Amino acid sequence: MKLGLLAGAAGLALAASAGLANAQGTLRIAMTAADIPKTHGQPDQGFEGNRFTGIPMYDALTAWDLSSADKPSVVIPGLATEWAVDANDKTKWVFKLRPGVKFHDGSDFGADAVVWNVEKVLKQDATHFDPSQVGVTASRMPTLRSARKIDALTVELTTSQPDSFLPINLTNLFMASPAHWQKLFDAAQGADAKAKAAAAWTAFAANASGTGPFRMERFVPRERLEVVKNAAYWDTPRVPKLDRVVMLPMPEANTRTAALLSGQVDWIEAPAPDAVAQLKQRGMVITANAQPHVWPWQFSFVEGSPFADRRVRQAANLCVNRGEMKELLAGLMEPAKGTVPPGHPWWGNPKFDIKYDPDAARKLMSEAGFSKAKPLTVKIQTSASGSGQMMPLPMNELMQQNLSDCFFKVDLDVIEWNTLFTNWRRGAKDETARGAHAINVTYAAMDPFFAMARFLDSKMAPPVSNNWGFVNDPEFDTLVAEARSTFEAGARDAALAKLHARSVDEAVFLWVAHDVGPRAMTQRVKGFVQPKSWFIDLTTVSMQ
Amino acid sequence: MLLYILKRVFYVVPVALGVSLLCFLLVHIAPGDPLVSVLPADASQALVEQMRVAYGFDRPLPVQFAIWLGRALTGDLGTSIATGRPVASEVSTAVANTVLLAIVATLIGFAIGGALGFIAGYFRGSWIDRLATILSIAGVSVPHYWLGMVLVIVFAVTLNWLPASGAGPGGSSQWAWDWEHARYLILPAVTMSVIPMGIVTRTLRALVGDILSQEFVDALRAKGMRDGAIFAHVVKNAAPTALAVMGLQLGYLLGGSILIETVFSWPGTGFLLNAAIFQRDLPLLQGTILVLGIFFVALNLVVDVAQAALDPRIRRS
Amino acid sequence: MDATAAPHRGYWAGVGRRLMRDRVAMACAAVLLALVLAALLAPWLGLADPYRGSIARRLRPIGFVTPQGVVHWLGTDEQGRDMLARLIYGARLSLFLGIVPVFNAFVIGSALGILAGYVGGRVNMAIMRTIDVFYAFPSVLLAIAISGALGAGITNSLLSLTIVFVPPIARVAESVTTSVRSLDFVDAARASGAGALTIIRVHVLGNVLGPVFVYATGLISVAMILASGLSFLGLGTKPPEPEWGLMLNTLRTAIYSQPLVAALPGAMIFMVSICFNMLSDGLRSAMDVKL
Repeated sequence: MKLGLLAGAAGLALAASAGLANAQGTLRIAMTAADIPKTHGQPDQGFEGNRFTGIPMYDALTAWDLSSADKPSVVIPGLATEWAVDANDKTKWVFKLRPGVKFHDGSDFGADAVVWNVEKVLKQDATHFDPSQVGVTASRMPTLRSARKIDALTVELTTSQPDSFLPINLTNLFMASPAHWQKLFDAAQGADAKAKAAAAWTAFAANASGTGPFRMERFVPRERLEVVKNAAYWDTPRVPKLDRVVMLPMPEANTRTAALLSGQVDWIEAPAPDAVAQLKQRGMVITANAQPHVWPWQFSFVEGSPFADRRVRQAANLCVNRGEMKELLAGLMEPAKGTVPPGHPWWGNPKFDIKYDPDAARKLMSEAGFSKAKPLTVKIQTSASGSGQMMPLPMNELMQQNLSDCFFKVDLDVIEWNTLFTNWRRGAKDETARGAHAINVTYAAMDPFFAMARFLDSKMAPPVSNNWGFVNDPEFDTLVAEARSTFEAGARDAALAKLHARSVDEAVFLWVAHDVGPRAMTQRVKGFVQPKSWFIDLTTVSMQ
Repeated sequence: MLLYILKRVFYVVPVALGVSLLCFLLVHIAPGDPLVSVLPADASQALVEQMRVAYGFDRPLPVQFAIWLGRALTGDLGTSIATGRPVASEVSTAVANTVLLAIVATLIGFAIGGALGFIAGYFRGSWIDRLATILSIAGVSVPHYWLGMVLVIVFAVTLNWLPASGAGPGGSSQWAWDWEHARYLILPAVTMSVIPMGIVTRTLRALVGDILSQEFVDALRAKGMRDGAIFAHVVKNAAPTALAVMGLQLGYLLGGSILIETVFSWPGTGFLLNAAIFQRDLPLLQGTILVLGIFFVALNLVVDVAQAALDPRIRRS
Repeated sequence: MDATAAPHRGYWAGVGRRLMRDRVAMACAAVLLALVLAALLAPWLGLADPYRGSIARRLRPIGFVTPQGVVHWLGTDEQGRDMLARLIYGARLSLFLGIVPVFNAFVIGSALGILAGYVGGRVNMAIMRTIDVFYAFPSVLLAIAISGALGAGITNSLLSLTIVFVPPIARVAESVTTSVRSLDFVDAARASGAGALTIIRVHVLGNVLGPVFVYATGLISVAMILASGLSFLGLGTKPPEPEWGLMLNTLRTAIYSQPLVAALPGAMIFMVSICFNMLSDGLRSAMDVKL
């Protein structure tokens, strides 16, 4: 009882101080997630999780450069200062660690912590192994197998096959504090070590400790996460200007807009395009920048699919009016001409130019044997919502209308987002695909595995990975293998460019749009730079 | 009376068991892999199997049900797949928030609906009766999620009088009974109250009309009893039914808050349920529906017993 | 129902007469009839194509006239489609999803209720306790839970709404049947050697279906609101089908730029729902049903 009273009093004091702090540098953000992404170091909820509960509170060995709005975001040193692959055995990497880094709980970061964090998801017999973190982590670094300490500030990482993508993948492995976890483990209740470990992770999520620029202070499940400035952050120029960031999950675009307009929050992710005019009129600032994101139809190549015919795939690409689509989204998208835009190191100058040309599309369709009198019926699986899906229903409806001009009759199969996501892994041959000829799942294109390898490599066909439509082309396989085993950055980009150019020429996808990550904020938010990335750097932001 | 209560409680047990079976089966008829929310897009088959075993989805259904029910009886509703937190604690926080909202909404609905219905029934055929009838029909006919959106546009966005969403400036865990917090409750509670308002108005209007047309009222009038005393008689006779309606409405609001909670981001059971459905978080979905179902069954029991206590005729039937 | 099954012709004539005199109910019936006719005859009303729009003319206000002189009486939606056409075509699905589940539930629920009420004993016990389990969930919760489990789609919405409405209808049918069964004329019929089926057909059906029907009509508005609520949550109809709940959902984000247009589908649901309730009330008092 007494405790409750105390807690209540503390809560009141905190509420009062939060009220005061508003003036001094509290930023309140409405996220699009339905729940606060996991806070124990391996966030869920897609990359929005990494954006808000990963990067601000934790660091990884490697990091994304989020400092520029103009230059492409590239991988830079994080908690590792340098790394190199073993010249003789290309499955071994040596990472040199940054000295003098401390976790929020005061313990030291070093080689032991790296090994511990690799083992939390990869070593099944480790006490602190957490199966619930494996899902969101292991797949983002599919070849990493183990870690070994060489000295206090050097570790060796081993992969299952030579994999030049590893440093990029490692941006997803955030370093949680082993010492803090151990303390929570020792205090945890549980029948056996496994139960105690699960309880310790749950406790860790409510009371986290990483090395990031912000430190967790308050966590109300499903409602809010409050983080405060880590004044002792190792990267001195990036010590936050803000005192406090409050993050609130608000899955509804309208709820977010209303919250911003009624002064409940200072910043919202992804305002509804149709609310942008009103937001601007009320003095809000809208920021956007091209993201390595693709909103596609992924074609099925299985027997009987009309999209097995390249002419039909190309016709579909030429029949979508991306200009109208952009208008539908109030300008908040970039028309896609491939997985990456022209000018990107992986662009590769494909011969097939993706644009709106319904005449050419109809010609291709006629060659393929279709006409106004004999239209082609295709079935597309999509969802009504979902992370990165932008506005799937209106967008698909517009495509339905556009494509009807080119002898396509589009039948939409709208299913629930998570079901769609499962089906994506099951592939076009599975009964859950219900005979669909294409699937509409958006993807991140910042890393070569996620952008291309998993879709084009025949070995990535279901159930292994997301080659949903069973693309099976030896040339793609060769190109993927070549890119993976090329360790020199320039040569690797060249290999990836060849792969990308061929995928566009073959029209493996119907590429429609790149998201621009729109956000709206009050004019009091200063110093924010929106990079060409899914992620952002909150340390530069301040409140006026 | 005790016998009646025992009989009612005894009768509730099989229903509660049926409710839990239904909750359990409901999520198993669902297509889609329950593990998808924790598994990555390109999880290997081996990983999928490993997770299935870890979460117990590899066992036969009856076994899963028995284990699930056994744990549920001890208050262990399992662990949320999406968050890793115990379902019981998630649900109990959410239930508290929903109960808060639903009680306030029921009280608003009951106060307005009761007054309207009573006056309408008392003065049948008057203009206030017609107004009450129109209001009550509007109350039960309005798509309340739409009403909620309209209220947000008017009172939060345009006028800036009230917050648009959430459960207080510091989240529901810092809830306090002051204006700073109560402001957050107004829009969702008013939106939610239109249904009970409509139903209570209708019920009371009919009830009061019926009571007034009964012979004993005429007899009382004939005996020269004053209006005040007749009024008291009517209240006494209408109370059990009114109470029952109120109890049931509270139950409906507890379970029917999903659309309103979604519109207002109110962190209650509806919000939780929405998250559970869209994340395919089976343990959470089961747990939330189970708690709401059992809550409703229990509430019905309480209403029955209270009604019987107020009206001895019910006990005998 | 043949003539002998109903209480008698005079009764129905009286009901009809009383209903005709109820101006509110008649006005509502006229509105609903007009809407049903418009929905059925939509292709011949000279409306714009409800499936095709022009992005260049999206989200235009009520009464918008294009440079070519095309009038959009109720504006255009987020795809630039004519709202009037969408709303009228939308009445097809919206009314369908309001009426059909209630009709299905009326058939199934009455059958179960009458069976339970007439046979009594263990059959009653088995049926009614099962019904109680479903009844233990508030209707919104049950509909959303079932739809959430089955996934989106018209068929699944129909199924979940039917399941939701069977228990209340069965309960009413059971209680009315039980009371009718104990009435004198049923005993008399039984004593005169009439078979169970005949008794059910002639006496029970005639006296039970009326009140149950009235009760069911009152559920139509609930079904409409629930069905559009499912679509609103993304658990109901799929695009490009015009359906009011789905339109409300997709137009929701336009509530800042075109609030009146965005409010139209909700207003339609509201209006039709009021009409069904008023009509149901009128029918109830015309038939003098007390439930």
